[in-house]
Amino acid sequence: MTVHTPIQSANRRIPGWAMGFTLAVVVAGGAYFGTNLSGHNPPIGGPPPSAGPPDAHMVIAKAGCMACHGPDLTGQVGPNLHHVKDGPTSANLKQLGTDHPDDWANIWIAGTDPAVSDPAMRMGMPAFAAPPYKLTPEEIASVVAYLKTLP
Amino acid sequence: MAVNPKKLRPYDQPPRVREPIVPSQPDAAATTYLVAAVLWFGVATALGALWATQQIFPGPLSLKTELPTFRGTLTFEISPATVSGGFWTALVYGWLTNAGLGAILFITPRLLGRRLIWEKIATGSAAALNVGLMAGLAFVYLPQIAAKGTLAEFPLPIDGVILLALFMANVVFWRTLLAAGQLVPYISLWFFGLALLASMGLYFLDSAFPLIGPSDTALALANGAYVRGVETLWVTGVAIGTLYYLIPRATGNPLYSAGIAYLGWISWAGLSTLSMLGALVDTSVPFVITQLGNAATLMLVAPAFLAVANLALSIRGRWSMILSPGTVPLAVVALAFFTASALLESIGSLNSVRGLVGRTEWVTGVQLFAYFGMGTFAFLAMADHAFPRLLRRDWRETILADVALWATFAGTAVAGLALIGGGIAHGSLLRGQAAPDAIAGTMRWFLGGAAAGIGLIGLGALAEVVNLFFIYTSAPRVEYSVRDEVVVPTGEAAAGAAGQ
Repeated sequence: MTVHTPIQSANRRIPGWAMGFTLAVVVAGGAYFGTNLSGHNPPIGGPPPSAGPPDAHMVIAKAGCMACHGPDLTGQVGPNLHHVKDGPTSANLKQLGTDHPDDWANIWIAGTDPAVSDPAMRMGMPAFAAPPYKLTPEEIASVVAYLKTLP
Repeated sequence: MAVNPKKLRPYDQPPRVREPIVPSQPDAAATTYLVAAVLWFGVATALGALWATQQIFPGPLSLKTELPTFRGTLTFEISPATVSGGFWTALVYGWLTNAGLGAILFITPRLLGRRLIWEKIATGSAAALNVGLMAGLAFVYLPQIAAKGTLAEFPLPIDGVILLALFMANVVFWRTLLAAGQLVPYISLWFFGLALLASMGLYFLDSAFPLIGPSDTALALANGAYVRGVETLWVTGVAIGTLYYLIPRATGNPLYSAGIAYLGWISWAGLSTLSMLGALVDTSVPFVITQLGNAATLMLVAPAFLAVANLALSIRGRWSMILSPGTVPLAVVALAFFTASALLESIGSLNSVRGLVGRTEWVTGVQLFAYFGMGTFAFLAMADHAFPRLLRRDWRETILADVALWATFAGTAVAGLALIGGGIAHGSLLRGQAAPDAIAGTMRWFLGGAAAGIGLIGLGALAEVVNLFFIYTSAPRVEYSVRDEVVVPTGEAAAGAAGQ
């Protein structure tokens, strides 16, 4: 058996200061909402579309590429990205490089290669989607262009 | 005639009492949930320390291997991405959800004056939840099978088991509450009721949404809203409800104002739900909807302040209890972190601030304040209050309780501030178009601080686990009272008082 021991309340009314504070916050929040209705959302995980071509450095940092490819993109868990301009170096990407010699890297990052059957390999980059970050085609193009300039 | 026990043959011994597989005695479910929670606390902090260290040194701490199966091979991967999923799941569902459900099942019968109806189902729900979580956590490291997302992204059968556990806990709570027939139950039960429904509803929507084949963007948006809802509706709701019970109980004072408590509940319920809209950030979502969510997040300071002020005023006249180890200082630390996280969430919802730190470590730092600060300290206070009563032990505070308090406090402060500061630095560097290696070099310092902080929390978790072990093994057993409580000396009331 459990003894019924209710917790008493010293006061059932709402004090004036509590009601006043709540109303002040609601008014402030409403005013903030009312004065910030114009604008547009950026694409998920990316910069605003009106900001021009996405900066590759910014995209690489935001997408967390360095977590696997290393701070200088020479490879850690993931492969070295300094030879993208020479075509794929990983064995599992050779066929993709043959089929799409110009945009194999774009396809690989986007994860849209229908020839790849392994679902883990069709997730695109960032690998295994640690944060829900989806690179836009413009961001991918910017990153690939940058990678092709690396020595 | 005296009997030498050494001479007793087996058939002289009295028959053993057969224990049911699923215990059904009073408080069995709360005990199961709270013991499991403390163990998960240790697991979560270990994964958290690994996660934070991997952010700095991803290579040496990563592993990728192929596991042969009957149908090809499976990739087993320990990487920043998979460890991150494991960490957040162990923290939110392993530690905080187990502790939250334990708190609900401990407090509800004590406020209603009747034991839980279907205690066995509640205990079964604890088993289902933890079996599901353990299996799910194993799948997190198999990225071919695990779903995309950041929290509790398990294969569908495991989602079903966890959903069943949440449903069972809901059924027991609502059945007990409705049977008690109280028209206006105590405020804790209002928080628990909505939080329980939210936990089940959010989990169901997050599990079922991928089945209708949405786009990747829609999936990521829904996952973001779900993560936000779990924090504000589930973890925060249960933590506030728990503190509304613990502080008046531990201080012996009445609640300062029931009116403030109900006003806080109404504003929390509405604003927390709307706040989920703030996570829908994409060109496909009308800006006004996202802004509505941001404004609601901004206004969430109101229910937070009301709860903190109400509970702080309930301690009046007993402030010296903060200086002695026990439930009250832990609860007060939870209130302090609750204030800090609510303020930081509000600041972070402003467009100008969100533009700078919205996709940086700031978000993680504020989440750590909410989960490791408010949630963890509320449930550590719950554990401090409940374990001597559940395990029927006369427990005196030792150095282990101090270690758990101070290590967890220092670790949360260090890790949270390091990530929040790192987020500001990261946002500033991105805005200044800094090169990736420059950003990585700067962030190492902040991430190192976060790793050290989470390691300290791990020390606190270890102290809590050892503390629990010593409570059970070495504290003297008591049948009807614990220290510092009114002793009801005889009869049925005495047996009942043991449960309070």
